[in-house]
Amino acid sequence: MKDFFDTWKFKILVAVAVFLVGIMAYAGANGRLTAAPQELLGVILTPFQKAAAVVSGGVGAVWEKYTSIDEVMEQNEQLEAENAELRQQMVDYDRIKAENDAYKALANIQKKNSNATYVSGFVIGRDPLDEFGGFTLDKGTADGVAVNDAVISDRGYLLGMVVEADPTSCKVMTILHPSFNAAGVVSRTRENGILNGNTTYAADGLCTLTNLERSTETRAGDQVITTGLGGVFPPDLLVGTVQDVVPEASGKSSIAVVRPGVDPRTAKHVFIITAY
Amino acid sequence: MESRRKRSRSQLLKWGCYVLALFVCAALQTTPGLFQLGQAKPLLVLPLCLAVAVFEGEFAGALLGTVGGLLWDYAAGRTVGMLALELLLLCFGVSVLVQLYLQVNFGNFAAVSTTTALVVLSLDWLFFYYMPGYAGAALRYIAFVLPSAVLTIPAALLAFWLVQRIHDGFGIDNGVV
Repeated sequence: MKDFFDTWKFKILVAVAVFLVGIMAYAGANGRLTAAPQELLGVILTPFQKAAAVVSGGVGAVWEKYTSIDEVMEQNEQLEAENAELRQQMVDYDRIKAENDAYKALANIQKKNSNATYVSGFVIGRDPLDEFGGFTLDKGTADGVAVNDAVISDRGYLLGMVVEADPTSCKVMTILHPSFNAAGVVSRTRENGILNGNTTYAADGLCTLTNLERSTETRAGDQVITTGLGGVFPPDLLVGTVQDVVPEASGKSSIAVVRPGVDPRTAKHVFIITAY
Repeated sequence: MESRRKRSRSQLLKWGCYVLALFVCAALQTTPGLFQLGQAKPLLVLPLCLAVAVFEGEFAGALLGTVGGLLWDYAAGRTVGMLALELLLLCFGVSVLVQLYLQVNFGNFAAVSTTTALVVLSLDWLFFYYMPGYAGAALRYIAFVLPSAVLTIPAALLAFWLVQRIHDGFGIDNGVV
């Protein structure tokens, strides 16, 4: 072992380590998350992730049932009555059906904003290290996706924004992330605020609308939408419903706790707004 | 005794299997909802790289650890190179540990994998949750870091078995009995 430190192999490992530190420093200084070698790996990984996501439709469901066995036993009686043909549907058929439903929903969304262009995408990756529900989509720059594009659910609710875009995939930061910022407004009272994630509420799938007046008229049940200020998100995108209004820590303003219309942590199919 | 050509093809196939296994593990690790218990999910890339380091030595193991780390950096959206550097050092360290002090068996590998998983998850928690000052850091550690490290044990055993099979399957026959 002692001799190993004198070999060319050890020198190569040290060189690799120094290289990694270098690209890490470069990435940190330039605010980038990926580098060219990684993007290449990402392109190779994407088909594996797509396949795994399709398979997990079946395997994930089995695992979920296993972990909630009580509910499964109750559901079992109901499931037995189901048609056997439905249980044996092809994966492709499920996917096409899901896409068809999604496009029907898209038609409704487009009625509201006919100028916008949308790209349909499936969630193919969620790494356990991302604590705020960030995910990877199967669409990338080759499909017209770019950084800062808004991502909405197939029912038109805001889910997040694209933070990294590779040729075949992109990464999405959800509205649960504390670094997420968007201008929001309470549709009933027209009170403006800043939509962002909050670590206190993120675990429950909630986000917040901050900077509301201390004596705000906003109350539980009010709808929150985007204003379009800042130019990143289109105006009038649905966000969710106010669940509670609490005073901010300093007491100078109020915070509306918002339940997103669709939970970003469980979304499987989304639309990316590439232009509006 | 195998010919040089046959041996070289065998080694190429072996590393092809390792790389394929690495991509499959990375894809499974990021598959939404798969093997998830609460917030916790098992790590798959780390035990595979560690197993390769144990069977193939510190140099090859550390290099595969670097590739696996870069892949994980990409999948997790972490700063490029961070997990790669961690995996390089851990694979090197574990390989040396096994060569000098530990026997190669399932029990030791499970213990080493859990410990290293705890190190990687704790560092990630430190840099990306605790240091930014997010609320509920302690809860996050209890609800995610610790259970994820424990969930990694079965994945480690599976990775150990798989890599052992590949290693033995493509073993070099040098004619020594």
